[in-house]
Formats: sequence, C-alpha cells, structure tokens
Amino acid sequence: MTMLMDWFVVPLSYPFMQRALIVSLLVAAVCAVLSCYLVLKGWSLMGDAISHAVLPGIVVAYVIGLPLALGAFAAGLSCALLTGYLTENSRVKEDTVMGIVFSGMFGLGLVLFTKIESDQHLLHILFGNVLGVTPADLVETAIIAGGTLLIVLLKRRDLLLYCFDPNHARAIGLPVRVLHYGLLVLLSLTIVSALQVVGIILVIAMLIAPGATAYLLTDRFDRMLMIATATALFSAGFGTILSFHLDAATGACIVLVQAAIFVLAFLFAPKGGLVSLRRPISPPLEELS
Amino acid sequence: MLAELLVPFSYDYMVKAMWVSALVGGVCAFLSAYLMLKGWSLMGDALAHAIVPGVAGAYIIGAPFAAGAFFAGILAALGMAFVKQHTRLREDAVIGLVFTTFFAAGLLMASLWPTSVSIQTIVLGNILAISDEDATQVVIIAAISLAVLFLIWKDLLATFFDENHAKSIGLNTSVLKIVFFILLSACTVAALQTVGACLVIAMVVTPGATAYLLTDRFDRLIVIAVAFGAVTSFVGAYISYFLDGGTGGVIVTLQTLLFLAAFYFAPKHGVLAARRRALAPAKAAI
Repeated sequence: MTMLMDWFVVPLSYPFMQRALIVSLLVAAVCAVLSCYLVLKGWSLMGDAISHAVLPGIVVAYVIGLPLALGAFAAGLSCALLTGYLTENSRVKEDTVMGIVFSGMFGLGLVLFTKIESDQHLLHILFGNVLGVTPADLVETAIIAGGTLLIVLLKRRDLLLYCFDPNHARAIGLPVRVLHYGLLVLLSLTIVSALQVVGIILVIAMLIAPGATAYLLTDRFDRMLMIATATALFSAGFGTILSFHLDAATGACIVLVQAAIFVLAFLFAPKGGLVSLRRPISPPLEELS
Repeated sequence: MLAELLVPFSYDYMVKAMWVSALVGGVCAFLSAYLMLKGWSLMGDALAHAIVPGVAGAYIIGAPFAAGAFFAGILAALGMAFVKQHTRLREDAVIGLVFTTFFAAGLLMASLWPTSVSIQTIVLGNILAISDEDATQVVIIAAISLAVLFLIWKDLLATFFDENHAKSIGLNTSVLKIVFFILLSACTVAALQTVGACLVIAMVVTPGATAYLLTDRFDRLIVIAVAFGAVTSFVGAYISYFLDGGTGGVIVTLQTLLFLAAFYFAPKHGVLAARRRALAPAKAAI
C-alpha cells in the first residue's frame, strides 16, 4: 500500500512535476469540455487542422517578439477562416480544402523554422514539453484555459443547441454565426493552451477521446460533460505520473491512458458495449412491446 | 550564377533525393485524383499518422520499415472499421481517435528507445539523408504502385463513380477497392520517408484538387495532377538544398501556393473567371 502511495507521491516531490501535473489537469479539463461539442458537431478533424496550422504563427510571433500564444491563435483562426473562404468559392470539397490549407500552413511553418535562429525546440512545439513548464507558462496556460472553460460553461446550452440542430437554434433567434465563430475561437484558444502539454500533434487526441468515451456511456449531455471531464482529468494525472516512472513522453502517455479508457468503455459500456451486446440477458424493451 | 544554381546536381545525394521525391510525388498525385473526388482526403492523413508506430517498431527491431508501416496501417484500418461498426460515433471522431492513439503509441516507443528511432525523421521526413536501403524500398514501392495504377486506373474510376455500372460490366469492385487501399497505404509509406507523417496529406490531396480546378475530364485531371506532383516534389527537393533542409515543408508550401494560384486564375473554375462571368451579363445588358 505504501509502495502504491509512493508511486504517486514521490514524483510530486519535484517542483517541475507539480507544475506539469497542474498544467496537464487544466488543459485536460478544458479539452474534455470542448471535445463533447466537437464529437456532436462532427468537427473532430477541424481540431486536427487548426492544431497543425498554428505552427507558422508560433514561428512568426517568435521572430517579431510577440507572445507565442498570440501568434498561434491568429494562425489557427486564419486556417479555419481560409478553409471556409476557399470552400465557398471553389468546387473543391471542404475536407480536401481543409487538408490543403492546414498542410500548407504546417509546411510553411517548417520552412520558416529552418530559416530562423531560434532557441525554441521544434520537437517541443510538436510534442509538448510539459516537464519544462515554467511558472510563467503555468500562469499563461491557466488564464487561457480558465477563460475558455468559463465561457464554454456559461454558454453551454446555446452551444449545445447550435451543435445539435443549427436550424432550430436559428429559428429561436440565437445568433448562429456568432456561435459558429465563437466555437472556432474557443477551439483555437484551447489548442493554444494545450501546446505546452501535448504539443500540436497530440492535442487532437485530447479533443476527441474524452467526448467520444463519454458519448458511449450516456445519452444526457450534462452527464456527458461530467464523464468526459472526469476521464480526462484521471488520464492527465495518471499519464503524467506514469511518464515519470517510464521516463517516456508525457503527452503520449496521457493520450494512451485516454485511449485505454475508451477501449474499456467500448467493451463494457452498460448500454451498447461490445461485451454486453454479445450476452443479451433480456431482450431490449422495443422488441418486447 | 548559373554554376551556383547547378551545384545541387553535382551531389549524388541531392540527385537521388530529387528523383525519389519526384517519383513519390507523382504516385501520390495519381491517388490524389481519386481521394479528392471521393471525399476521402483525411483518410490519407489518418493513415500517415497511424503507420508511425509500425515504422518506429521496425527500426527498433531492425526490420524493413515498409513491413512495419504496412502492418500498423492495416491494423489501424481494421480498428477504425471495427469501432465504426459497433458504436454510434461519427466517422470523423472514430478516424481521429484511432490515428491519434496509434501516433501516441509511436511517440511512446520513440521516447523509450531514443537511440534506434528518430521521431523527427519520421514526422518531418529526411529525404536528403535517406539511406540507400530505405531509398530502394521507397523506389520499389512507388514503381510498383505506379505500374498497378496504370493498369487499373479506368477500372478504379468506374468503381468509385458508378459502382453498379462497374459491376454490370463485370468488374470485381470489392477487390478493386481493397487494391486501392493497399496502394494508398503503400504510397503513404513512401511519402512518409519523403515529406514526413505530418505532410503526407498534402501529397495525396493538393495535386488532385489543383488539377480539378483546371480541367473537367478525368484522364486530363490525372495527367495534370501527376505532372504537378512530380514537378513540385523535384523542385521542392532542389530548393531545399539552398535552405539547408526542410524538404517536406518546401514541397508542400510550393504545392499550396500553386493551388492558390489555380484557385484564383483557373480559366474556368477560378475566382477571377467566376467574377468575369458575373459581370458579363451586366455588360451585355448595357
């Protein structure tokens, strides 16, 4: 028992591990809440696109001396807007345009990166560097993640209605365009806040897995939010500590713990889980009536 | 000046990099014509990320990277199909979930065995420093894929655009689809070595989309796309000599710029042409 306790407590005696844990938990919470909306709206791959597209923004912001988060945010948002513009004005399908825009921006970011002298480590941007979070980074992440979380939770009903049935939302007088762009802005902010923890490639996992897992377990949106947040927090905490013991990439550990939880839900969900499907104890109600 | 521009051609590794890139770019462009029209663009991205653990594993145990990549790719495709079939999740969420999990597994392997796997090479590609062994694998994969595509491009076209018609003229559409996906995984593996996992999507999407803005006929679309893919890859590798690296980034940036040019200036489907058409009736009325 003490050994088990030590396993969890010993890593936390290091200040860098404490900061890593706090920042992972924060980012996990905000990503989890957003993921519920993305899964419902079918925007999972939008997160993928925006997260790749932030790279040139980071490089440019570094060169001209702006905060990196600002550059990342601007680039992420312009990817989303550019995708919309190109789709509306050409006969190419949206998913294709999205692929072209985000890969083009990522490629441009790489070219810019090879041309500048920088103390930024490319692999840290790509895969996160949660163990190297400074107290200043922590404050920045806390402000961005906290602010995003607050806005989403305040507007959760409107956003839900917009994701679920945009036409109905418009009919009852909700500002649909504002909600659409608002959600894009919130998504970009979330990705920016997650850069430190999991990097731009794995943030997409944090923006899908918790919502997808919760979706398998419940039909009610409030519960979905809670389950998603709980699984994400657990994965972030457990993954961070696991990575300390394995001496492995933190972002990868967090994502793999989340994936393991998804697999468990997939197999054993009370309704519709694979294992419970195979052994029907009693026929479903619809068939009885 | 001219002598300076010809410098890359005097290095064996540069000549090798340019020709291998051109070959891979051409094959990927061939596939892009189908992917783009069918709306499967993001499948290429997902596959490229999903094969990362296979490549990492192959390097760790010293197997050919293509075998590992292929194995991981098939596993990911089966995983996606299985989860899709048994849950009510949307397809995009399932694709995203599976490929990020595979990618994270690859990253974990690379962080546990950092000496045998260079995650930077896998994610960003490194065609300028590709080993002869890896280059041979890439060339074999690309050449076989290209040959197969030349043989069956019409059958694939029939299968994807009018499956019933294809069946009625005696084509085995399910085999053709499987062949297509095997070709796609093979080309993803080849492209991974050239531009890296993150940019494979550009190679299998942008050439086709650009050609689609320039022509309405599918045979011309393929010719334009292949020429576009091969030339941009060749030139991109050439330019990257002067930038000291970032080959994948240069190739993809070049392709995106040309796509944007086609988006504006395409004779029939470009923005400017549309604007002209919108103005024409007004002028005629005057």
